Amino acid sequence: MTETSNHPAVEILNLRKVFRDFWQRPTVTALNGITMDVKEGEVFGLLGPNGSGKSTTIKILLGLLHPSSGTVKILGREPTDVAAKKEIGYLPEESYLYQYLTPAETLDFYARLFGIDRHTRGERSKQLLEMVGLSHAAHRPVGGFSKGMSRRIGIAQALINDPRLVFLDEPTPGLDPIGCRQVKDLIRTLAGRGKTIVLSSHLLADVEDVCDRIAILYNGEIRAHGRVRELLETSEHLSLTIPVLPPDRLAAVLKSLRALLGSEPEVGRPSMNLEQFFLKVVEEAHQRTPEPSGTGRTEGVAQYLSSHD
Amino acid sequence: MHGIRQFYIMMRLTALEAIRQPVCLMLTISCVTATAAVPLLLMHNFGEGGKLARDGGLAFHLLFGLFVGVHAAASALSREIRSGTASVILSKPVSRDTFFLAKFAGVSMVIVAFSLVAVMSTMLATRTAETFVIKGDFIGYAMDWRTGLLLVLAAPAACGVAAVANYFRRKPFSSGAFAALMVFISLIFVYAVCFDRHGSFTPLDTDIQWRILPAGVLTTMALVILAAFAVAISARLGSLPTLTICAAILVVGLTADYLLTGGTLSGWSAGLLRAIIPDWQHFWMADALNSDGHVPLTYVGSAVLYAASYTGAILCLGLLSFRHTEMK
Repeated sequence: MTETSNHPAVEILNLRKVFRDFWQRPTVTALNGITMDVKEGEVFGLLGPNGSGKSTTIKILLGLLHPSSGTVKILGREPTDVAAKKEIGYLPEESYLYQYLTPAETLDFYARLFGIDRHTRGERSKQLLEMVGLSHAAHRPVGGFSKGMSRRIGIAQALINDPRLVFLDEPTPGLDPIGCRQVKDLIRTLAGRGKTIVLSSHLLADVEDVCDRIAILYNGEIRAHGRVRELLETSEHLSLTIPVLPPDRLAAVLKSLRALLGSEPEVGRPSMNLEQFFLKVVEEAHQRTPEPSGTGRTEGVAQYLSSHD
Repeated sequence: MHGIRQFYIMMRLTALEAIRQPVCLMLTISCVTATAAVPLLLMHNFGEGGKLARDGGLAFHLLFGLFVGVHAAASALSREIRSGTASVILSKPVSRDTFFLAKFAGVSMVIVAFSLVAVMSTMLATRTAETFVIKGDFIGYAMDWRTGLLLVLAAPAACGVAAVANYFRRKPFSSGAFAALMVFISLIFVYAVCFDRHGSFTPLDTDIQWRILPAGVLTTMALVILAAFAVAISARLGSLPTLTICAAILVVGLTADYLLTGGTLSGWSAGLLRAIIPDWQHFWMADALNSDGHVPLTYVGSAVLYAASYTGAILCLGLLSFRHTEMK
């Protein structure tokens, strides 16, 4: 869990969004009076099925969509305030990239929009490309990239300004397990530096691993809201982990437990999950194959993103 | 200051993205090839080869320029809104006004680059065309095969150079070929300015018709106005509706002079329509160049002023619309 302050990085009050057709007739109510806040330094998860209003909420927070009613503030300012966006990073749901630019050109372009000087631009681009494992493809047009590779460039562009508040809209679909793990590591690293992260996803395991608080949206309304551990904890059961025992000693332990509990305890062997197993296999393969055709070896979180100010 | 830098960065990217699209190169090559082909393929021109090449060149400039401008504008705004690249840029500290105006400026840059090639091609094609020559013992009609051949070979040569650069240095093909074409046409033009049709070095005293230049400038202005329309419309509509509406505006504007001055419509409604509908006749100078006619510089100045005012008005409306456009 990350350290949070009481200052809200994001404030939403009675937010409503109705999409209209060409004739201004209402077609869909995407958000129906949601109220929530995200504290500074918090990792906040927005969950919900497709069409529940997660991306719409993020786009309103970024000033890309106009709210029908309600108030919204990010870092204490209106979403349409251009200056507020200097401290924001955004990874959209799809990796929206200029097809004819190379990854190096893409990162340089976005860095220049923030007015980052040439030396810093070069350093950050290099570190980010190493972080997302695309240094070897830095000069190939992104139009020819796979979905996962495009997603990695999308992540890199969202972090080029070392943002204080990051919106990640479905960051992991299209990424291989290494990429997914890396995104989670990145979120933890950024949160460790006091950055605020708003993560929208329907991959529940990812959210559970990294988020401090979550809100579950359904049909434009918040149906559940709170700390992940508090929402998930069950008070009826307790798990106990012990070393592997010889059969006779295990039988004795179980017999004692049965006598104490008055019911049959569940016994199982904890196993590595598939993600951990996959990462182990690929790590071994990376050591044998230095020049992959797709994503190359990743280099952990970019130095400028992990170093404390 | 930072806003100006952002404007420049986005303008440059818009232009670069447009010329990296194969369709832009195809349209430019088609324009050059069609312009070059007119004097070479004409069999019977009754001494009017120069006029046909000139009129053809200006018409190709306008026609292909319309497609280049509308396609670039639709890619720059409509497609960016639909694909989401506009969302990413507007999530950065970039104002909508800067973004919109930079898109227009980038499209205008592409139009100017295209027009440079088109105008030089028209001037070269006009010189290529059969003309009455008295040189030594020769008296009669002759064609400038040397310039014509160079003009025809410019596009394949540009593609060849771009292909080599793409193969050996992985440079983008379309933008490379576009740049190479610009360089080759410029070099042929310099050659045509310095050497006459018989190969004698006579700088600035060759058969280049400089009076085509103001006509080309005015055609470019018409294309810039159409690009402003295209950018403004594509803030709300897709590529195809944008192209259709721009083509309709072109047709209506071409007939505006006839409809509004010829007496079909009169009174205050005609006056209002005259102010609203762009009158392309102000920019179509092919007829004015007949019989050694010239376009006065004062006329060019006032037409450019008209174009600037009209473009400014359309961009203001486009900006108002874009401020309320919702991003995908």
